Amino acid sequence: MHSHDHHPHDHTASADKSDAPPSYYEIMETAVRELLIEKKLITAGEIRRQIEVLDSRTPALGAKIVARAWVDPEFRACLLANGRTACEEFGITFYDDTQLIVLENTDKIHNLIVCTLCSCYPRPVLGLPPDWYKAKPYRSRAVKEPRNVLAEFGTAIPEDVEIRVSDSTAMVRYLVLPQRPVGTEDFTEEQLAALVTRDAMIGVIKVNLPNEITV
Amino acid sequence: MSQTEQLLKKLPNDIGGSPADRIEQTDHVLEPWEKRCHALADVLDFHKILNTEEKRRGVEALGSEMVGKLTYYERWIAAFAFILFQKGILTPNDLERKMTEIQARYSITTRQ
Repeated sequence: MHSHDHHPHDHTASADKSDAPPSYYEIMETAVRELLIEKKLITAGEIRRQIEVLDSRTPALGAKIVARAWVDPEFRACLLANGRTACEEFGITFYDDTQLIVLENTDKIHNLIVCTLCSCYPRPVLGLPPDWYKAKPYRSRAVKEPRNVLAEFGTAIPEDVEIRVSDSTAMVRYLVLPQRPVGTEDFTEEQLAALVTRDAMIGVIKVNLPNEITV
Repeated sequence: MSQTEQLLKKLPNDIGGSPADRIEQTDHVLEPWEKRCHALADVLDFHKILNTEEKRRGVEALGSEMVGKLTYYERWIAAFAFILFQKGILTPNDLERKMTEIQARYSITTRQ
């Protein structure tokens, strides 16, 4: 297959890259950053600190939110009413101006999130999006043929379940609140969080109960 | 709808609903410069120098050939440079001089 969103560079060959000369674009990044620092518009410390912030955001945060929503109906209601304030009260800071809308999956509705125009994503709670989320096939097809897209992720949604696709914007981001799997009634909040994956919070899969997990 | 009409109605980034290939579940760990590029975008946003929508439009303004051929963060840094030129914050000469300087820095390191 040929994907226009991918580059001939082989990203898996990163082991050799430490010795390789920097690419044209890497030099451009260094140049833009150093020029802006020289002009005192930004500082090196701000870049370093933001890299730490980016590193601290992973799908584990989103999983904690989902698990709390499953065990605490009051939190769930707050989360669905205003995703951002509920997450902030839960202790997750938002480092940008985005709003967060949490979409609840039910027996009748399955939610899927996408950003058709670019790569908007609930970064404060999930970290950075996977490459496929930013690539043309997902962005093009999720809004047009979501059932086929879900099938490519191995997810079959019954015909009588409505699929709702939410298209993210610069200011409004979405997070899917997946359904709690049957058979987890005795799980602790921590055990529940361990079941929740990034892809389930994008909506391309359901949260499954692995057979290995025993309570 | 004519060919050119379609071009106006669907700008390069506006690909929702267009036919496309099967989804390959690709991902990669960001290279250090890619992560720095992302952090740079966020810091520029904090300082109200460059917001998300400007960034998206900046990528779109690269045109469909560059959007198709450059990787994600290659598109970003190229777009940032053009936007910073447009805003009069940097000049093409500033960037060329600095890139030459950085290239020379790496060349010296390689020769040692």
